[in-house]
Amino acid sequence: MLKGIWGSDWFGLFVVALVAGTGLALFQPAFLSPFNLYVLLISFSLWALVAMAQMVIIAIGQMNLSVGAIGGLVAISFAGSMEVWGLPVPAAILLGLAIAALCGLLNGVMTHVTGISAFVITLATLSIFKGLNIGITEAQPFYGVPDVVKAFGNARFEGLPHMLIVPVVAIILIWLLFNRMVLGRQMLALGANRHAAELSGIRVGRVVVIAHVISALLAAMAGMLAVARLQLGQPTIGDDWLILSFAAPVIGGAVLAGGHISVIGTCLGVVIVTLINNALVLLGIDPFFVQLFLGGLILIAVGLNRWRERRLAPA
Amino acid sequence: MTEPVLAVEGATKSFPGVKALDGVDFVLRPGEIHALLGENGAGKSTLIKILTGVHLPDSGTVRLFGEPVRFRNARAAIQAGISAVHQERNLIPRMSVAENIMLEDLPERFGFVDYAAVNERALLWIERLGLAIRPDQPVRSLSVAQMQLVEIAKALVLEARILLMDEPTASITPHETEVLFGLLKQLRDQGAAIVFVSHKLEEVFELCDRVTVLRDGRNACNGLPIGELDRADVVRFMIGRDERTAKLGDKPVDAADVVLRLDGVATSLGHAGIDLELRRGEILGLYGLVGAGRSELAKALVGIGGVTAGTVTVAGQPAVVPDPTTALQRYRIGYVSEDRKGEGLILIHDVGRNIGITIWRRLSGWLGWLGEGRARAACRPFVEKLAIRTPSMGQKVGNLSGGNQQKVSVAKWLAADCDILIVDEPTVGIDIKTKTDLHELLWELASSGKAILLISSDMPEMVALADRILVMGGFRILGEVRNDHDYGRMSTAIMGHIHAAEAA
Repeated sequence: MLKGIWGSDWFGLFVVALVAGTGLALFQPAFLSPFNLYVLLISFSLWALVAMAQMVIIAIGQMNLSVGAIGGLVAISFAGSMEVWGLPVPAAILLGLAIAALCGLLNGVMTHVTGISAFVITLATLSIFKGLNIGITEAQPFYGVPDVVKAFGNARFEGLPHMLIVPVVAIILIWLLFNRMVLGRQMLALGANRHAAELSGIRVGRVVVIAHVISALLAAMAGMLAVARLQLGQPTIGDDWLILSFAAPVIGGAVLAGGHISVIGTCLGVVIVTLINNALVLLGIDPFFVQLFLGGLILIAVGLNRWRERRLAPA
Repeated sequence: MTEPVLAVEGATKSFPGVKALDGVDFVLRPGEIHALLGENGAGKSTLIKILTGVHLPDSGTVRLFGEPVRFRNARAAIQAGISAVHQERNLIPRMSVAENIMLEDLPERFGFVDYAAVNERALLWIERLGLAIRPDQPVRSLSVAQMQLVEIAKALVLEARILLMDEPTASITPHETEVLFGLLKQLRDQGAAIVFVSHKLEEVFELCDRVTVLRDGRNACNGLPIGELDRADVVRFMIGRDERTAKLGDKPVDAADVVLRLDGVATSLGHAGIDLELRRGEILGLYGLVGAGRSELAKALVGIGGVTAGTVTVAGQPAVVPDPTTALQRYRIGYVSEDRKGEGLILIHDVGRNIGITIWRRLSGWLGWLGEGRARAACRPFVEKLAIRTPSMGQKVGNLSGGNQQKVSVAKWLAADCDILIVDEPTVGIDIKTKTDLHELLWELASSGKAILLISSDMPEMVALADRILVMGGFRILGEVRNDHDYGRMSTAIMGHIHAAEAA
């Protein structure tokens, strides 16, 4: 039996990230400049939350297509409530989280009660949430974001963006959820074998609904961070999150059928995707190649995992 | 002596940490039914997988009609004339019976599937197997037993010279088994070579001509004529010593202490007028053929499928069980499913997470806090008590042998510490030693004051373990037999109830 680092889900990814980082640093010294690292960490902050939002749903063996739409709806509600109603920032944050919780509740309850696959339900709610977003904003951004929020989006401490605190706390909590809490174990059990989980006395409905609420709350945090970073309540926030939300967990070794995820692997997945995008900017590569490279990388990462699993497991 | 159709010489196959086959020889001749026996983990499955192109041997040769062959995939094996009935289902539920049967070789006309020919050719085999189904029926509308027979028809239709049958009778009734055996003998007499894998030694002695037994990846015997052996010889080959009979001591049943009582219970699954009393310390058998409604009754009792009429009483109090969580937590009823892979275990999770699943809530602290170490420590006594052979608590259950998997699915419910345990077909597909272990365990549990509802289609098991046997058929209780542990009398009485119901 192989143990330790080599046996862990994320070892291969760690090497890939390290090699990619070293390569970039060698070819383009600007990679290591404080400003570039700061920009990287900002991207990481946002995307890590997006990836976690999807990963939680992958864990229970479902998919959430509405992650971006929830993030977008929360973003404009957050910015809009401050501009239009003059809500204080903490109240606006609570409002954003409450809206997300409602969205997650809707996704979770509908999938559980109807028994229709989450893919279909969230495809519908994606459209509903996006429709609400466009209806409220008429596709115009809210510009009246308070200075304190803008400052948070720009502030840094020793080269580290203040924003980073949000994903770091979220990642730790999600790691604890899956590694130290009964709820996380139940989510994985349900994701791997719903019938067995149910017969073993797990309240399947409750766990599904909670997972969707957690996913929506993570998407909400990403949406509000995006507002702080862009300095405005842009209605298009969340539109381009979908591919990344699946790419990072899958690169990180998650089983799409459910029951197995890796928090650290997903984070490394985000790091790798961030590095690729950064390479585009730094090396002035045609965006076409970046897409190509990202696609190839997903295949390589998944292939490596498969190969490792075969070596570890007898048939 | 006739030329062998298939000869395996010195086949060796290793997986990380295990040598599954170590120099195994196996010779199959035309016109014979050859039993391939061994305990779980002895290497039968690996040998079958080599013959069907799933695995390549690390060393050794496979000869087909004298020519060395290496099957790189399942198609290559089929094209070479080897067809197989696997333990797992390989049917496509939404397609028709005929399409499933003919899938390997769909007849075409002008590039389109010729459905008339598909149905006609499939019908031939449906009739030969004595199946009362239509070829255009979708497979998902069939019973488990019918599906198994369609699976067999699918292998027969290829008219292969070599037929591998891995536990073909596990889910079919005695009558269907008889028809199948008649057909297999007919094929043998026409010159086919048949490999028959089964845990039911009675079947082996009835059907087979020669026996090869594997033990720990080696030949315990190689192609001995069955006439020269008796049951004890075969068991000795399989387990390396004499069979140990389960030690079942005296077990008092307190007739007054009824822990579970059903009065006129009907369910949404189709049961009607079910009366039943289960007492503390008792093993109550629920015997019936596949489709009698036994597992369904068990599921209704733990809250899957509602009780629509009558009353359920648990420990003297009227009980309503809306879901398995309530069954476990409030009424302390547990259900060990017959469908180990589908409902019992989480194969991609490790041993610790499978056993602990029923007690996580109980073990956890504030906010559901529960460390891996604490969870595993709570499971360890059950791994030891059941002597589950696993390298660690972190081993994926899917990597364990069938017998050990079954032990894990029982351990989970031991950990849950239920007062009432419903055990559904606990020893199907389990090797002799594990079976004896499990029988002793169930007996011991009952002695210690648990009440056990034992669902089994294995008549000897029923007669050995149960205090009383309820016979079930068509989602009704047909009758009750008080067990005196005399196999002949009991089986006559039980079949009497079943036949009386059929006649009525």
